[in-house]
Amino acid sequence: MGTFEMKNPGDQPVWVNTDNCKACDICVSVCPSGVLAMRYEVKSTLGAMISVEHPEACIGCNECELSCPDFAIYVADKQEYKASGFSFAKLTDDAKARQEAIKANNYYSIEQGAR
Amino acid sequence: MAFNYDKYLRLEKMPTLWCWGCGDGVILKAFVRAIEKMGIDQNDVCVVSGIGCSGRFSSYVDFNTVHTTHGRTVAYATGIKLARPDKMVICVAGDGDALAIGGNHTIHGCRRNIDITMIIINNFIYGLTNSQTSPTTPQGMWTVSQKAGNIDPTFDTCDLAIASGASFVARETMLEPKKLEKILIKAMEHKGFSMMEVLSNCHINLGRKNKMVSAMENLEWIDSITASKKKYDAMTEDEQLNILPLGVLKQDLEVREYCDMYQDIKDVHQGKRGKITQDDFVKKI
Repeated sequence: MGTFEMKNPGDQPVWVNTDNCKACDICVSVCPSGVLAMRYEVKSTLGAMISVEHPEACIGCNECELSCPDFAIYVADKQEYKASGFSFAKLTDDAKARQEAIKANNYYSIEQGAR
Repeated sequence: MAFNYDKYLRLEKMPTLWCWGCGDGVILKAFVRAIEKMGIDQNDVCVVSGIGCSGRFSSYVDFNTVHTTHGRTVAYATGIKLARPDKMVICVAGDGDALAIGGNHTIHGCRRNIDITMIIINNFIYGLTNSQTSPTTPQGMWTVSQKAGNIDPTFDTCDLAIASGASFVARETMLEPKKLEKILIKAMEHKGFSMMEVLSNCHINLGRKNKMVSAMENLEWIDSITASKKKYDAMTEDEQLNILPLGVLKQDLEVREYCDMYQDIKDVHQGKRGKITQDDFVKKI
């Protein structure tokens, strides 16, 4: 039985539920600013697991949540997030370059090295 | 708080049985969000699904659901709609379910123009039974049943629906969930038969032997064979040959809906009106 953690764990712009993730790479590929990446995980079927690498770069576009087939990833509601005193980042060239690098690295985290 | 999916899903059935990266999950999510946006009560919606990977759809959503026999989704849905015309009925079928074994039901549903929203999830293959040729498999692709390459010509679902008389026909891919959500709302709000084809991926059974190993590679291929209606209209005929247009392809508000006409029949038998004549219809022949 899956769980659906809609509650924001500690004012994060984007958070994942690793119980539901099947490591399909779709969310990583649709992110425009390199927030997400895959990491090695021996317990996962495909040997990988999603992780939020750079939450400070999230622009709140909601693409990753909408294109996740398994209800594993959530993005904070824009107005609620602003009301609690936080704001989403703007899309920078740095973030775009990082996204390109993650894609070139087969959707794996750059910090972790080549796949 | 993010969007509350709990309200619309059967949590005891989760996680889904679909493979990693399967488009069915994205369509399920878009559908749930569309219902939330329309503000319809869960008890006023009936989801009917057939057999196949897409048949699991009705097990996961917490509406009134019917999991029916192979290909007979439209037949069941027609009965439900005629019995309770005030409820919203949604059919979910795969390409094999709706176009192969249930092809006849689909075209006659379109012809009657009954107020059903039909979502055809087209993944170009029989996914559940391990990659046999389906009516929408592109020519030249490897399948289990045609190992030298598929030679069967393919169905164009939307052209079929337009020709059979559906009053709302649209096509969208699961690559753009925001657009999908918007068009789903349009399709559900339309009174009459709404055919909604959603192109989806099956990298496990279609992709593995056709050089599209991962979900993303398969989705890139779908992206390369589709274009928006605007771009499609601007193309030359040669370019249009291998491209499928996306968006609302037909919307006809003139045609009478079947439940309305059925009410007329009831009224005739109850003596509330005279017999039905050709003058009751806009299109005579």
